[in-house]
Amino acid sequence: MKTISSNKKHRASNTAVYILLTALCILWLLPFVYLVLQAFRGESRSMVSYVIPKEWSLANFKILFTQTSFLRWYLNTFIIALFTSVIQTAFVLSVSYALSRIRFRGRRLLMNIILVLGMFPGFLSMIAVYFILKLIGFTGPGSVPGLILVYAGSSGMGYYVAKGFFDTIPRSLDEAARIDGAGRARVFFKIIMPMAKPIIIYTVMMAFIAPWGDYMFASLISFGYEEAYNVAVGLFTLLDREHINNYYTVFCAGGLLVALPVTVLFMMLQRYYVEGITGGAVKG
Amino acid sequence: MASVVLKGVKKIYKGGFTAVKNFDLEINDKEFVVFVGPSGCGKSTTLRMVAGLEDITEGDIYIGGRRVNDAEPKDRDIAMVFQNYALYPHMSVYENMAFGLTLRRVKRDEIHRRVLEAAEILGISDLLARTPRALSGGQRQRVAIGRAIVRVPQVFLMDEPLSNLDAKLRNQMRAEIMQLREKINTTFIYVTHDQTEAMTLGDRIVIMRDGVIQQVGTPQEVFDTPANIFVAGFIGSPPMNFFKGIVTEKGGKQILSVCGGEMQIKDPSVKGEVTVGIRPEHVYLTEKGSMCGEIIVSEMMGSELHLHLKTAEDGRVIIRVPTLDLSESDKERLSLHNTVSFGFRKQALHFFDPVTGENTLKKSSHN
Repeated sequence: MKTISSNKKHRASNTAVYILLTALCILWLLPFVYLVLQAFRGESRSMVSYVIPKEWSLANFKILFTQTSFLRWYLNTFIIALFTSVIQTAFVLSVSYALSRIRFRGRRLLMNIILVLGMFPGFLSMIAVYFILKLIGFTGPGSVPGLILVYAGSSGMGYYVAKGFFDTIPRSLDEAARIDGAGRARVFFKIIMPMAKPIIIYTVMMAFIAPWGDYMFASLISFGYEEAYNVAVGLFTLLDREHINNYYTVFCAGGLLVALPVTVLFMMLQRYYVEGITGGAVKG
Repeated sequence: MASVVLKGVKKIYKGGFTAVKNFDLEINDKEFVVFVGPSGCGKSTTLRMVAGLEDITEGDIYIGGRRVNDAEPKDRDIAMVFQNYALYPHMSVYENMAFGLTLRRVKRDEIHRRVLEAAEILGISDLLARTPRALSGGQRQRVAIGRAIVRVPQVFLMDEPLSNLDAKLRNQMRAEIMQLREKINTTFIYVTHDQTEAMTLGDRIVIMRDGVIQQVGTPQEVFDTPANIFVAGFIGSPPMNFFKGIVTEKGGKQILSVCGGEMQIKDPSVKGEVTVGIRPEHVYLTEKGSMCGEIIVSEMMGSELHLHLKTAEDGRVIIRVPTLDLSESDKERLSLHNTVSFGFRKQALHFFDPVTGENTLKKSSHN
């Protein structure tokens, strides 16, 4: 009797949990579904008070590519994201590995300074960064390399997650490799990197995703040069007072396309993302 | 194949902790030396300094006559087996063993030959394609040893290689290391906290405490003439019994008063107050006598019985009694809380200075 009643209880609490999860799931999906529906709406391009389109069409995408500079913005952002992810990954991994493995004077102090600096919002430095970039001609039309510098420049500061990961790889592996005849660089590339796949993937994805959503820095640095906008800044111009009635659904179509590369990347990499492969290295 | 010499080696960690103090030792070519001591005694730190994994604060280390203080680990021609195996998890057993040779640009055929040979010696030939995660603890340790022997290093370093194995496997691997040593005749430095491993494996044992060498000697030497109370208590299981005693002269004879009894001894090096040491196997049971105690613990080990007695002066004595010698009536006599008498084999007594703890004989090769 006891087991039956406890089984019942278990089932009831499970049901409650699943109902809650389903509700949350719907809540999270709603904005995305709304965006998709608006992107394919054909009958009008302004904001409307209903959700399901009366007429389905691809016109919004056509307008996006013919009447706006979306392709250019998209390309800008893609270039920025590509370079940023490569540079940032290199920075983050090397800084984290060094902080995890090498004991040097001022290491703790450096880590603490970075931690405290990280507590200030990035835009506090915006004006200073703007003037520096302006000096070397990386604002306005030169925004793309400028933004790559902005995103990649401070990326070493995001060392926590990767350092935490490296800390879990036993130091004796480094030591074994050093005794086997490997120098520091070879230890890093041949021994540590193959084990660090999940954290590499994580770093690459974070670095690649960020530029697609940045509005603040991008709008300041590329201010007034439509050719140099990224997707966030560019698409937002479609919501201006004089454009919104004609371009609202076009904006939604653009939003949908922005989600595309990030989603594809995630799907490609997620299988590496699941679990590390440190199993069997040391006694476990 | 090389000698290893440590001269005045000292290690002070950042923050001021001194892990190793003035370590002087000469390890001969092809010698098997074991560093043994309780945890935190500096034995692993010393080994890691030889390996080049720790900086040396003071002193010099020579491998094969070459000063290696500033040489990178890879340039010291050593191989090391770690306590936690430290196998490369993304490589197969074969690749793990071949890695060091590949880095040294050994020819492919030669690598292949050496890996197969080492695998054969260690009995892991059928595991070469597996990754470390698909191996058991004992197999992993074999691979770790294999990775070290394919390199044919000048010095073979082992840092508590058996500590992570269960008792049965540990005994088996210990025997295998002894056989291995016959096959690959090179210089070994082996670190352990286990005195049985130290006694069975080492040509010489280095006993350490708090960063200081307590005694260096063959297993027999450190067992027979421990340099001080620490060594006497550390080597041997169960540990040596210690008592306070007084040596007096009566009518030209040397008399030792200990545990409420008296006995005549002949040892010119002792007089007055002394710490007396005797190993449990050198204490025997008697029918009656003035040295007696209550049995408070009785451990049946199969072939022998370990009796823990509480004496009148609240001292503790452990006695090893071979069970073969025991009759039924003896067994009854030796039940818990009975009081039994015991005696010492006089020739096996050890005397230590009650203040310094040093052996009064000082004839051992203590540094």
